[in-house]
Amino acid sequence: MLYFILRRIVLLFPVVIGLTVIMFAIARLLPGDPVALAAGPNATQAEIEALAREFGLDQPIWTQYANYVAGLVQGDLGTSLLTRRPVAADIAAYLPATLELVFAAMFIAVIVGIPLGLVTAVWRNRWPDYLSQILAIGAISMPRFFLGLLLQLCFAMWLMWLPLGGRFPIILIPPPTVTGFLTIDSLLAGDMNAFATALRHLAMPAIAMSLSPLATIMRMMRASTIEVMSQDYVTTARALGLPKAKIILKYVARNAVSATLTVTGLYFGWLLGGTVLVETVFDWPGLGLYATKAIISQDMLPVIGVALVIGLLFVLANLAIDLLYGVINPKVRYS
Amino acid sequence: MKTSSHLTISRRGLLAMAGAGLATATLPGALFAQGSGNILVIASGQDIPNFDPHTATGYSASFFMRNVYDPLVRVAGNPPEAVPALAESWEVSEDGKTYVFKLNGNARFHSGAPVTSEDVVYSFQRALSLAKGNSWMIRDIVTAEGVKALDATTVEFTLATPFAAFLQVLPWIFIVEKAVVEANLGADMGQTWLLTNTAGSGPFQVARVEVGTLYHLARVADAWQPGGGNLGGVIWQIVRETATQRLLLQRGEAHIAVDLTSEDMDSLADAPGVVRVLEPEYRTFSIKMNTKNGPLTDPNMRKAISHATNYQAIVDAAGYANLMTGPLPDGILGHNPDLGVYRMDLDKAKEYLAKTATPEGGITLKMVHVSGLEQQRRWALIMLDSLKQINIDLEIQPLKWPDMVAACASPETFPDLFPVYQTANYGDPDNIAFAAYHSSRNGGWQNAVYSNPEVDALIEAGRAEIDPEKRKAIYQAFQEMVVADAPDIFGVLEKRRLGLRDSVKNYNFTPVASNAIEAWPLSLS
Repeated sequence: MLYFILRRIVLLFPVVIGLTVIMFAIARLLPGDPVALAAGPNATQAEIEALAREFGLDQPIWTQYANYVAGLVQGDLGTSLLTRRPVAADIAAYLPATLELVFAAMFIAVIVGIPLGLVTAVWRNRWPDYLSQILAIGAISMPRFFLGLLLQLCFAMWLMWLPLGGRFPIILIPPPTVTGFLTIDSLLAGDMNAFATALRHLAMPAIAMSLSPLATIMRMMRASTIEVMSQDYVTTARALGLPKAKIILKYVARNAVSATLTVTGLYFGWLLGGTVLVETVFDWPGLGLYATKAIISQDMLPVIGVALVIGLLFVLANLAIDLLYGVINPKVRYS
Repeated sequence: MKTSSHLTISRRGLLAMAGAGLATATLPGALFAQGSGNILVIASGQDIPNFDPHTATGYSASFFMRNVYDPLVRVAGNPPEAVPALAESWEVSEDGKTYVFKLNGNARFHSGAPVTSEDVVYSFQRALSLAKGNSWMIRDIVTAEGVKALDATTVEFTLATPFAAFLQVLPWIFIVEKAVVEANLGADMGQTWLLTNTAGSGPFQVARVEVGTLYHLARVADAWQPGGGNLGGVIWQIVRETATQRLLLQRGEAHIAVDLTSEDMDSLADAPGVVRVLEPEYRTFSIKMNTKNGPLTDPNMRKAISHATNYQAIVDAAGYANLMTGPLPDGILGHNPDLGVYRMDLDKAKEYLAKTATPEGGITLKMVHVSGLEQQRRWALIMLDSLKQINIDLEIQPLKWPDMVAACASPETFPDLFPVYQTANYGDPDNIAFAAYHSSRNGGWQNAVYSNPEVDALIEAGRAEIDPEKRKAIYQAFQEMVVADAPDIFGVLEKRRLGLRDSVKNYNFTPVASNAIEAWPLSLS
């Protein structure tokens, strides 16, 4: 198992190299003049050239790439052309917000989706099943930002239960940063008020993000449960007279959940890269907004940095899922 | 049956409890309203990534500088005028080349040190040698040798060339504390340090920063600036969705929203507690034509297009706006409202078209616009309809802004029609005249191709002349000549759209950078 983990981690290197090469190539192939843009409308040609020199953008792309990789080894992701801030510091500031949102959304999706899938499989082709199918199709087809706006309208404007957006009330001082997750940081600080406040801010964006994976997880869980229920060992268990609840929870659910886990891992990566609309609607200061702004102004180093970080997280999340298979099903062997 | 009804009640009870829980959890919202008595909250979509007054750009950075740093003079009033800031008085020589500023003896940096003429000299020299941010405003006008400290509180500027708008650009060159910057110089003249630190003398200083979320400025304990409102601090809150800015304003959680759309302004019309500010600002929108390459090199073709354009549709699509009456915005020095600018007249359009190489039309022109900007897309469609009337086809291509900037590099890559917004950075006709019509700007997006030596000469004369009456005459001639050349389809002047809570007192509109709110004079009731 240790060998398995090590091998997967070693495999990260080709991923990193591949990502940087592709991103650098795209940055070069794209038309447009990011330096002139960053220098502003009133810059002279000399000033534009000076800016390009300052950021090493006047050098051949191979030299630029070599410099980038040399910096990367030391954890330096370069400096944004537009904001002049170090990319690594920016990502460190924005990443926890995005991760907290994605984890919260996945948590809701798994906690609700898996039991719901099980329930609809057991009562398949009866009203709970039909109802959940309708809801699932609705949840998958509803654009997340639109759902976000509806939630805002309902819970923030009409009912006034929840805040409109942001991670924390701007007038209050947030708990000291340890993990960057406001919910966890407030628990670590022992501040239950701050925890409740952070949760209230997290609720709407997390729900808006969670519905689509929730529906998928539920449908996957339903399909694999139905499949497992037709297996011989389930029939045997029933023939032996085991209680139905025990069969479903102990034998069927455990076997059905493996397939669902794969989807969960894939969705995790998908959500990481797709937070921008929800972040915009809820003013969630996350990575999606940061990357989008950089892409629009062709500020390539932040874009490469974000792509790298999301790529790495995606690989790590799927590694974690692979390891979870073994926890759920001890028959799984890693080689 | 019994269990089921029991279940229903408990479910209802659960909902009620959840509702009550959430309601109690909203208490911080109430606390907010109490605690914010003297803290002004401004909702804006733009982050402030850079605090260095000599390299940062953007209106959010302008907001930051105007409140944390001091310039020699500030701009106030409508029409805008220079008013004392660090300089309590100044004198201008007859030839307009020498300015002597007397600094306010009370002025103190946040460190407690007095603001001296040495700091002023150092700041101008730093701005010039970095050649970034707002330094273009004084480029070729102020030189490093031209700024001298006569004594501790007297600074003399000897301009390289007379520049009538000098007092109008000074509000955008901010003074840093020499000792503090020198102590943190690093390898890049303190750029890295000033990115996240400050060395200013403004009425506010940085209290709390959450990048991408908020910037909290607190009032300096014994601010040296005279006057001032009752604010204890200002929060620049980043709110990306304009609809959310509007909702925050309606809920009273923000006092000022600076990025509202026309639709937001419509829906705020009767909102209780909200005051709308809809004022013309020096911000023009026009469509540049390629005067150097392709069919539009012929002035008759440009005039045909200018007369074919449906101006009513353009102003309708713009929301809160007025049609432009020439190259300069209304109300600015020397603006001539009676230029007889082109208006939709298909007979005249066809008349001019008949004088071109293609009297029947039958050509295809290309127009680009910023992809995703709905208003620009609508304008492109209006042009498509307008040009059809004179049998000209229009190919519309949405581009990303960096690609549009790149297209300006040469007349061959510049499209036939190119929409552009220009915002005056200082309240003087020289700003728009020079940026948008002087041939030295060719290749940049503000004026990619247009060049006319006579227009250049007028622009140069306008910036060198000191006498306002003579300047007016120069800009009159300039406007007539540009209109005769028809290099642009003169579009609209958009009105500035701000939303304020009625609790914000002592707010006065100035049509220059009015979204970079100056908080010092404001009060909250």
